[in-house]
Amino acid sequence: MIGFTFRRVGVALVVAWLAMTLAFVALRWVPGDAVDSTLTHAGVPADAIAARRAALGLNDPLWQQYVDYVAGLPRGDWGDSLISGQPVSELIWQNAGSTAALAAGALLVAVVLGVTLGILAGTVRWRIGRYAAEAAASLALSTPVYWTATLAIYVFTVTLDLLPGVGGSGVRHVILPACVLGFHTAGSIAQVTASSIREASVQDFVRTARAKGLSEFDILDHVLRVGLLPVIAVVALQLGFLLGGTVITETIFVRRGLGRVLLDAISSRDYPVIQGLVVLAAVVYSLINALADVVYGLVDPRVDMSS
Amino acid sequence: MSLESTRRRVPVNLGVVGTLFLLACFAVTMIALLVLRESSESDTDSGPSIVYGLTLNPSGFDPHIHNSNELGIPFYSVYDTLVYRHPQTAEFVPGLADRWEMSPDGLDWTFYLKQGVTFHDGTPFNANAVGANLDRVMNPDIASRKAKFLLGPYTGYTIVDAYTITLHLSEPYAPLLDGLSQVYLGIASPEALAEHTKNAYQWHQVGTGPYKLKEVVPGDRIILTRNQDYAWGPVFYAEVTDQTLDTIEFRFFVDAPTRSLALESGEVEVIGELLPTDAELLLGNTALRILRVPIAGMPQQFFFNTQRSPTDDPVVRQALIYGTNRTAIVDAVFQGQSPVAHGPLTSVTPFYDADVETLYPHDPDYARSLLQGIGYEDIDGDGMLERDGEPLALTMVFAPWNQMADVAQLIQSQWRDLGIDLELIQVPDFPTLRSYADEGTYDLISFYDFGVDASILNQYYTTGGANNWSGYSDPELDGWLAEATRQSSRETRAALYQSIQMRIMEQAVVLPVREYVNLNGTTAALDGVIFSAQGWWPLLRNFQLSP
Amino acid sequence: MMMRSRTRNYRLMVAAALLGVIVLLSALAPVLARHDPRAARPEDQLQAPSEHYLLGTDLLGRDIYSRVLYGGRRTLGVALLTVVVTLPGLVIGLVAGYGGRWLDLALMTLMDALLAFPSLLMALALIALFGNGMVQIALAVGAAGIPAFARVTRAAVIEARGMPFVEAARSVGARPEAILWRHILPVIAPPLLAFAGVTLSWAILNSAALMFLGYGGYISAPDWGVMLADGRAAFRVAPWVALAPGVALSLTVFAINLLASALNGQNGRG
Repeated sequence: MIGFTFRRVGVALVVAWLAMTLAFVALRWVPGDAVDSTLTHAGVPADAIAARRAALGLNDPLWQQYVDYVAGLPRGDWGDSLISGQPVSELIWQNAGSTAALAAGALLVAVVLGVTLGILAGTVRWRIGRYAAEAAASLALSTPVYWTATLAIYVFTVTLDLLPGVGGSGVRHVILPACVLGFHTAGSIAQVTASSIREASVQDFVRTARAKGLSEFDILDHVLRVGLLPVIAVVALQLGFLLGGTVITETIFVRRGLGRVLLDAISSRDYPVIQGLVVLAAVVYSLINALADVVYGLVDPRVDMSS
Repeated sequence: MSLESTRRRVPVNLGVVGTLFLLACFAVTMIALLVLRESSESDTDSGPSIVYGLTLNPSGFDPHIHNSNELGIPFYSVYDTLVYRHPQTAEFVPGLADRWEMSPDGLDWTFYLKQGVTFHDGTPFNANAVGANLDRVMNPDIASRKAKFLLGPYTGYTIVDAYTITLHLSEPYAPLLDGLSQVYLGIASPEALAEHTKNAYQWHQVGTGPYKLKEVVPGDRIILTRNQDYAWGPVFYAEVTDQTLDTIEFRFFVDAPTRSLALESGEVEVIGELLPTDAELLLGNTALRILRVPIAGMPQQFFFNTQRSPTDDPVVRQALIYGTNRTAIVDAVFQGQSPVAHGPLTSVTPFYDADVETLYPHDPDYARSLLQGIGYEDIDGDGMLERDGEPLALTMVFAPWNQMADVAQLIQSQWRDLGIDLELIQVPDFPTLRSYADEGTYDLISFYDFGVDASILNQYYTTGGANNWSGYSDPELDGWLAEATRQSSRETRAALYQSIQMRIMEQAVVLPVREYVNLNGTTAALDGVIFSAQGWWPLLRNFQLSP
Repeated sequence: MMMRSRTRNYRLMVAAALLGVIVLLSALAPVLARHDPRAARPEDQLQAPSEHYLLGTDLLGRDIYSRVLYGGRRTLGVALLTVVVTLPGLVIGLVAGYGGRWLDLALMTLMDALLAFPSLLMALALIALFGNGMVQIALAVGAAGIPAFARVTRAAVIEARGMPFVEAARSVGARPEAILWRHILPVIAPPLLAFAGVTLSWAILNSAALMFLGYGGYISAPDWGVMLADGRAAFRVAPWVALAPGVALSLTVFAINLLASALNGQNGRG
């Protein structure tokens, strides 16, 4: 068990490192960056620009920049923003809390809503009920986030005056954005839950249990327990969708967060910031998927831990 | 492991795992929010406070370095300038300088500074402080994008005594006072300038103005608090009452449709650049007020590329302007809430020449005849004009702010009726717009700036000007522009700018669309809302919030 | 076998019918449209649906009905292009699933590294590289989808390899290419088609998101995502402007997902 965990986490870190390296190389390849865009058109003479680039280490050979960068990471030196000069780590720290709140809240909503819908879609007797649940899941998957966000603000904030909408950073302010984002993430979870429960309900052990005379409730219980296993995997996968969704949600709801930071960095070609966020996303995503694998292994008796 | 025992193992683990997971999510949310909460709002501050909605997140906030108009909204009140423009008359009134003199040859300007003024950090204000600011603006290392250019032919300064400073110019420069009245030349504390690096200063700005910078969280908020010691404001600053604002928090509302929602739900007390359709809608809301503030300077417009066929032919350009129904654009896109623009300057700008309004009435038939006259005909009956087998196809590049996308699409439709094929390219940000300008791969490009003094035209219309994206070159126009910048006599400048505006429009260098009007929304509880003569920057000192 | 065949067929029928109608309407846009989708009649702006303008008009007085019809071509076209761009993932997955152990390990580690980036983030980062425009959006979103396609293909190939009839074919001495062609591909085709369907709908939504964020580039034809984003501006005074493209977009994605789930069901795995 422990060995499996370590191996899995190790693989995740290797993958994250590979992702970081890819991003590093890709971003260095691109012509023009924030140094160019901010200085060149301010009438700054060419040698001053060159001096600035040298000072930032942008003229060093690629491998050296890479080594410097990697060495700096564990120290907390993730580079500085080319635009504001602020350390990237500081920028991330200032904004991570808000994004984490949004993401965790959305995940909560997504899992609760998704699993419920999925169970309903997979088990309810009446066809209408099943179809309704499936339709809800599909709807969640079919509309763009920016659209439901606007609609939600209009309905809940302006018309009904129930929840605070745009701006603000308190506890109540995270409810609406988390619900909107969670609703969209729930779609996939619901579908996978539904199909895996359906699959579980036709397995042999169900027939055996019925033959043994167990009550329907007990059988349902069994089916759920086995059927919910793949949900763990898909929840971890949906994290990626969630992280992407925070970009749009934060823009519309005017929330501080890493999504908006990324957008600003991209529009101003602030490569150190883009790099830092990419590294962060890769690490978080890999580790959470590794964690999901470990949990899956813990829970599913069919998985052979020693492999 | 037998089947029985594994099956028994599963229930415990899954249920526990599931519950733990949900609890973990909840915990993360709560913790993250608590961490957030303690680092921001301390609204136990007594005194009236508002949230002000900004609409653009500029890449930097240092007025000496950056050129965005948006940064002036908060920082106009953090700094004082040597002179101010009166918001109603646009006349120059004393600011940090009590009075000033220009030498007869126009090359030396002496400013007699106010005494008893201190910066927010306690440093005394004096001539040395002004000098330090001028040095910083002119320093090539900081790469100033606007402040430096506002100083024109400035060459240096002389400290006459503790409260007297003389600025030297290499030639007469009429817009000097106008430049000095803008936030970009606000006077900062030399101590603060020395203490922070060039990039770090923008988060710790120190001026002498009626509000101090309390906190900046980049990309998220800017917080100002009232300067209790402020006693040296210009004549138009109101007296402090118990309704004067103590705290102002600025937040960024980049997405246009949500601005009205924020205003209505009370998330902001003031916000600018409302969508015209929303502003109309909100007119009926008695809890809110809509203020329309016209902005002086250049209108929302497109430059023609005079260096590239077919827009290198003035007849083509003129035909295009005749063929554009600008009234329809203003009515449809801007709900008639802005005046149609007719020339390179807006009608509220001093030295605006109303004669340009007569030049290009909307006349599509005349446009067609002009094009026919130079050989453009619809030979194959497909509705599109050709000449020598080449269709009349143009490319228009623009950035999406100020609803340019709607304007461009309407123009595209209007020109299609004329038989012209217009391709639209929307860029998401300024650096991309700039790169198109550098490559010259466009026939029309949107670009404009604001300012009260007509000399803002210089960078855009002079041969080789830094912002001359039309590539227009006219030695006579260059001469007029230079002369109008040197001359201080109002009559002479008026006459010169008249020639300038007429020449620009006769040569159809630019396609003007609409005069910029900023649609501000405020809560009805806020009185005294007034904007500077430049139009963009609120005089926060005068705002009064009723409880 | 987990989906009853009656249900499966029902789904397949509904999805195919819906998609068929949508594709047909888009294809027949020039015939069915009542007005030029780009012709602006500002004096008719923001009109409610009427006999003359079936779905009303937008801010510039353009006929929404015609724009929705033409918009389908653009949206579906870009989405298909995106799916085509993800096809290298299929090849990678085939190679990894069928090739040797080391090749598999190397490729999959690489794919995992790419999968570590959330797709929208990766698409945004790629836009920063490619510049903006519809084609660039398709490239960026498509490239972001390659690793997922590779993984799914590889999993399907590995599962198919283990099947009895493949073992039998190999034991008889059939050549690897023949096995691949005649035995494996037919088995993996349905789930891969299903995944392509999911990718298609994901591509539509991600492209819409990128266009909302302003990376659309050329505006020469209507597109549902852009119409929806712009419709937000007039939403309070004219909700139909956003409603029509929104419903079109949602129905299309819904139909594609339904088709994908039906195909999945057909294969007995889900």
